[in-house]
Formats: sequence, structure tokens, C-alpha cells
Amino acid sequence: MRFFKDLKAGDYVILAITAAFLGAVWYQLAFQINYNWDWSGIPSFFVYYDEETGYQQNVLLIGFFNLIRIAIYSSILSVILGLGLALMRVSDRRWMNWTARVLVEFVRNIPPLVFLFIFYFFVSDMIFPVLGIRAFAQMLANSDSAVVGFLFGDRVFVENLIAGVICLSLFEAAYVSEIFRAGIESVGKDQREGARSVGVTKYQEMRYIVLPQAFEKTVPPLVGQLITLIKDTSIMSVISIQEFTFAGSEMVVSSGRIFEVWITVAVVYFIICYALSVYSRRLEIGRTGR
Amino acid sequence: MATSSLQTALLRNVKDVVIFLGIFGLLALGMLWVLDQQSYDWQWFRLWRYVYIEHDGQYYAGPLLRGLFTTLEISAYAIVISAIGGFVIAMMRASKLITARAIAKTYIEVVRNIPILVLLFLIYFVLAPVFGLNRFWAGVMTLAIYEAAFAAEIYRSGIEAVPRGQKEAAKSIGLRPLQVMFYVTLPQSLPFILPAMTNLMINLVKHSAIVSVIAIFDLTNEGRNVIAETFMVFEVWFAVAGIYLVVTTILSILASVIENRTKRFYAR
Amino acid sequence: MNFFKKAALAVTAALSLSLASAPEAIAQDQSVLDRVVERGSLRVGVGSFVPWAFRSKSGDYIGYEVDVSTKLAEDMGVELELIPTAWDGIIPALLTDKFDLIIGGMTVTPARNLRINFTESYHSGLGQDVVANKELIAEGSTVEDLNNPGTVIGVRRGAVSVQAAQQFFPLATLRQYDDEAVIEQELMAGNVGMWVTSAPKPAFAADNNPDTLFRPFAEPLTLATVGMGIKKGDYDTLNFLNNWISTNQRSGFLQERSDYWYGSQEWRDQVPE
Repeated sequence: MRFFKDLKAGDYVILAITAAFLGAVWYQLAFQINYNWDWSGIPSFFVYYDEETGYQQNVLLIGFFNLIRIAIYSSILSVILGLGLALMRVSDRRWMNWTARVLVEFVRNIPPLVFLFIFYFFVSDMIFPVLGIRAFAQMLANSDSAVVGFLFGDRVFVENLIAGVICLSLFEAAYVSEIFRAGIESVGKDQREGARSVGVTKYQEMRYIVLPQAFEKTVPPLVGQLITLIKDTSIMSVISIQEFTFAGSEMVVSSGRIFEVWITVAVVYFIICYALSVYSRRLEIGRTGR
Repeated sequence: MATSSLQTALLRNVKDVVIFLGIFGLLALGMLWVLDQQSYDWQWFRLWRYVYIEHDGQYYAGPLLRGLFTTLEISAYAIVISAIGGFVIAMMRASKLITARAIAKTYIEVVRNIPILVLLFLIYFVLAPVFGLNRFWAGVMTLAIYEAAFAAEIYRSGIEAVPRGQKEAAKSIGLRPLQVMFYVTLPQSLPFILPAMTNLMINLVKHSAIVSVIAIFDLTNEGRNVIAETFMVFEVWFAVAGIYLVVTTILSILASVIENRTKRFYAR
Repeated sequence: MNFFKKAALAVTAALSLSLASAPEAIAQDQSVLDRVVERGSLRVGVGSFVPWAFRSKSGDYIGYEVDVSTKLAEDMGVELELIPTAWDGIIPALLTDKFDLIIGGMTVTPARNLRINFTESYHSGLGQDVVANKELIAEGSTVEDLNNPGTVIGVRRGAVSVQAAQQFFPLATLRQYDDEAVIEQELMAGNVGMWVTSAPKPAFAADNNPDTLFRPFAEPLTLATVGMGIKKGDYDTLNFLNNWISTNQRSGFLQERSDYWYGSQEWRDQVPE
């Protein structure tokens, strides 16, 4: 009840305004516009119960699992690529420095959507056959193993998933590399000079002195980047990668439940991202003790 | 002097320059080779018609340029609204009123944790009918709402970066809280806020591409339409990417100019 | 130095290994037919539309296109893999081999035909039709009446409806959307006056919302040729598909399926709620 004692006049005013506003919106949504709300079918879009086959995954749940898969694989791959780019960026060899810089600046200055379009239709045609990824995906698709199904989802979409993971990783790697670069550069010059004077090689200096300290600083921004990555997976629905937002739009078309489906999709993304951001804040507190 | 030092620098780095150009040359050659395998029909000459049209000596903007103008228009409205909105949210966040803080925090958390595409669908399908927003304003409001959450955080860290001593000194000479905010804290937070806000501007222009999904004729949308008509997939996408790069580069340059000006103004 | 040399060697080795083991990449002259039989599966690109191809309650794909693709795969002795794809990216996806054919109710147009080949028609009696909002469009209006900038028409981007709307109502205001479901909502809400799209959607929409919507014209605006789409330069596959289509026309399979999906609403109970 202490809470109520702290409320001042201003609080009541704001509460009144907010309530009136939300009330008006709700009224409009519920009664004014020509739309029949029907939430009853939504759970079945996740898990469908059939008398004969029992419970089975439905479109939204499958899309959700693909979202998780893409998020995990992309984050791993983008961290690897990003680290490589960052090392190039801080390298003393100028061609490495410039190349990395140009690549990173290119990726960071175009919209994610445009990047995905270019790379999905271009790179997937260029790099995939050359690297035998198509053959690899085919092989995975043909092996009926449960492990493959768990790791990659529906075997029909293995190549689609891999393409999505690679495109997204290339994109996010540019941002990850900037995080690593900031971390590396924040390790004081005196550390590196001290190391050099003791006779440590560049590689050893990187590996044993700079990177460990850099990593510590980069973890919270990396979690932030992971949240951004999860949100960016939704843009891939525009290029027909079978992830959660695409599943959502399929269900919208098939069922006509525009409002219910999109609100549900938003809630799911929110739960995942909010949980991660809470975790990131805990990390921050744990690290700085504040 | 500048030229000769550039020359000496270049000579010293000839090896690096060669390798650097070599890498991108290889990349370009590789792309051309693969597309040849696909028997892709390059039609660069047709691209210009979609950028601008010349008729009787008058220049008209082609679809791509028109799309660019729309993108810039949407971004301009969205930046203004999100800068103001973000400020309001930031003030609510820092307010003494519990409800104001709660609303601000909820707003920031919700908007920052859902994808912008999903937010766009929500606003366009669910809220636009309620508020009578047309397509254009649904797009503007989505961008504004999304970026305002980030703007609020920028204002917050900018304000917190001002040394506490300043605020206390101001209070001790009798200024009221509102005056402290406007005359002391905010002006000093500008060097921190401005660079981050220009970054936000660039992000906003990039995110504006997403409004193409709801049939707003921005640059990305016009690009997709031209592709759907002519199938010049790669020419158009490269042109579109190039235009975005030009826009963001110009914005970045603007940003550093502004940054330098304010830094000088606040030189300590 | 040491590290970078090792890394560079490793990457080069990996690349050369994969280059050596991926001969299929360069051989693009193989016909789709051979590729499908070799792979053991037929990959078909579809777009989500009710009732062409859409998700059922249990998440399976159902619809006219699905039935056609299923029978085709059966007759070829391979498995069917349906690849749902965003409609305005479906031709680029075909051209980059994301799947083997497009069986999605794609109308044959010269512009599309310049880039891909089409089989003969496997649909009958469909075309571009119109459904209108009763408040915005007066009953009994003719095409001429509605041909003015005050008429707002919703169409799906990249679809033939765009050309049909431009052809019959060149002065009207056109709005292009990514999703048909959106246009229906817009129509119901009165944000667009008419929706031009493939039959039988207008008829379905008008039947489901008799108070708000109606079909202004008794006959569709155009009659469509709908063909399966394949990449150019593949005569064998085109021949196979055309013969398959005429066989199934003659046997009545295609007509029977068409009557089921477009002529009746018996499949409504499979639509997700």
C-alpha cells in the first residue's frame, strides 16, 4: 500500500489520460472496425491435435524452431567471421585493414533488406554451388536421420535454412566486428607494448593478452547484437526464408486472422528478446558490480 | 605539400594497394564469371531510364529517384517525430512520477524487443484503421515509434554524462528543476547526444527500407517493382545499394561536420 | 605470420576440396527432368493463396496447385517438395534454382515469358475479376464510370492484376500490396474501392461479406492462361509437362480438381480458424 501513498497528483493525471487513450483504442478495435476477432484458433497454429495422429507441430511452432536454429547458427558463424574481420581491421598490414574496412562500411551503410536481397539471390548462386553447399544440403536432406531433422528442420528446407544462416551471418559479422574492434582497441597500448618488449610475438600477444581482455568487454554488447540478430531474422521473411515471421504471414493468408496472428508473433519475439536483455543487464551488473 | 605526401605514402604502400585492388578485382571477376554461367542478361544501359528520364531537354526523375525522394521524405518526418517523441519519453523516464517512469520504461522495452517488420504489420493492420492513418503515415509512425525508443536512451545517457556537480551547482544558486534541465544539463549534454543522434538518423534511413513491404513507393519498393517488370535483378539492386550508400555517406559527413562544430563550441 | 599462413592454407585447401567435389555446379545443361529423376524429388515453388495453395488446419499444404503438383510428382515417380515463396520473388527464385518449377497459378504474360517458359494452360475459366465495396462503388457502374482517379483499386504487386487494372481503369489510382489478405481488409474497411484479383477470390469475398461487398461485373475482366513456369532452354521438360497436362485434361482430373477448389466451398472446413 506504500505504493499508493507515493502517487501524486501528476500520477493520477497521467493514469487518467493513459486509461482514456487505451480505452478508446480498445473500443475501436473491438467494436468499430469491420473485423471479427477470433483467438480460438491461434493455439492450434502452434500445436495441432488430431484424433488419429495426436499432437503435432504446426506452422507457427515449426517457424519458431527455425527462428531458434537460425539465431544460434548465425550468432556462432557471425562471431567467427566478425572476429576475423576485426583482426583484419586492426592488423598492421594495410591491405587487410583497408579490405576489412571497405567490407564493413559497405555492409553497415545499406539497409538490411537490400543486403539480404543482393546476397540471397547473388551469393547463394555464386558461392553455394562452388562450395558444394547444394550437394551438402542434398546429402543432409536425403539422410533420414532424426539428428538432421533436429538440427536443420524439415529436410525440404535445409538449403533454405543454410542460405538464411549464411546471409544473416555475413550481415551481422560486420556489426560484430566493430564490437570486437572496439574491445581490442580498448586494451591499453601499454599492455601491448609491455608484451612486445618482453619478446612476445604478435600472434601470442593477440591470443594471450589482448583478446582475453577484449572479450570481457565485448560480452554485453554482443548480447545486444544477438537481440538485434533475432530481430533481423524477421526481415528474412521477405526473401522467403522459412522463419517465424514468414510462418506468420502464411497463417495470415491461410486463415485470415490478421490481427491475432501478428499480435501473437510480436508477443513471442518480445518474450525472447526481453529475456535476453534482462540477462544482458544482469551480466553488466555482475561485471561492474553496480 | 599534400599531394607529394600522398604520393610518397602511395609509393610506400604500393604492395598493399596492389593486393587491395587485386582482392576486389578478383571478387568482381568472380561475380561476372558466375553470372555468365547462369547466362544472365546484363542490361546496364536500360538502367538509366529508371533513374532519370530526359524529355525535351527537361529532366524527370525516374522511378528510382522518385523512390529516393519518398525515402527521404519519410525519413525526414520520422526523424523529427522520433527526436521530439524520444525527448518526451526520456523526460518521462527521468521524471519523479511513478506512472510516467513506468509508461516510459514499458514503451522502451516493448518497442526495442520486437522486430521492426512485426511492428510495422501491427501498426499498419491493427492500429492504422483505428487512427485513420494512411499507408504513408503508418510507415512514418512505425519508424518514428521504433527510433524514438532508441532516441530516449540516447537522451538519457547524454544527460547522465553531464557531471553531477553541474546540476547541484545550478540548484544551489536557486534554479528550479526545469530551468536546470533546460539551461544547464541539456546544453552540456549536446556533445554526447548529437553524434549518437546522427547515428540514429542513419539507422532510420536504413530501416526505412522496410516500409516497402506495405506498398509505400520508397527506393527499395521502386527497385523491386522495376525488377518485377524488367528482371534486371542485379543491375537494379546494385544501383539501389549504391544510392543508399551515397545517402548514408552524405549523412555521415554531415554528422562529423556537426560534431566538429559543437565540439569546438564546447571546447574545454 | 605463422597463424595467418596456416589459416590461409586451410581456407585454400577447403575451397579447392569443395571445388573438386562439386561438379554439378557447372553442368547447367542438364534438363530439369533428368535432375528431378536423379534427385528423386520434385521441388515446386508456390505462393500462398486461398484456394490455390495454402496451409490447412494441420499445417499441410492444400489447394488446387498442391493437388496438381502431387499428381505430377506421383506420375514422375518422385517425392514432392513444396517451397512456399513470396510471390514477387518467385521468378528470381526459379532462375536461381531454388526449385524446379513454378506451379502456383501463374498467369502467362509476355513480360514473364521473356524470362521463363510456360507450359500450356492447366487451369480453365479463370481470369481477373473484380469485387467492390458497396459504399464506395455504385451498383450498376460500368467500366467507363469507374475509370477516374477517384476510384482506388487494390492489387497485388507483381501479379497480373496490376496490368489488368491498368488496362481497364488507366485513370484510376492503383495501390500495390504484398498480401491479398491485406487488400481484402482494406476493401472491407473502405480504404480501397475495388479489388482486382484472380477469380474466384472476388466471388468468395462477395459471398462471405454480402453486406459490404459485391461483384460489379457479371463476367471476369479477362480470361487467363495459367501455365507452369520453367527455366528457358529446357525443351524436354516442357514437352513432358505439356503432354502431362493434356493427358490429365482429357482424363478429367484437372477439371474435377478445379471444380472442387474453385466451384465449391466444400474444402472450407480445412481452412484454419
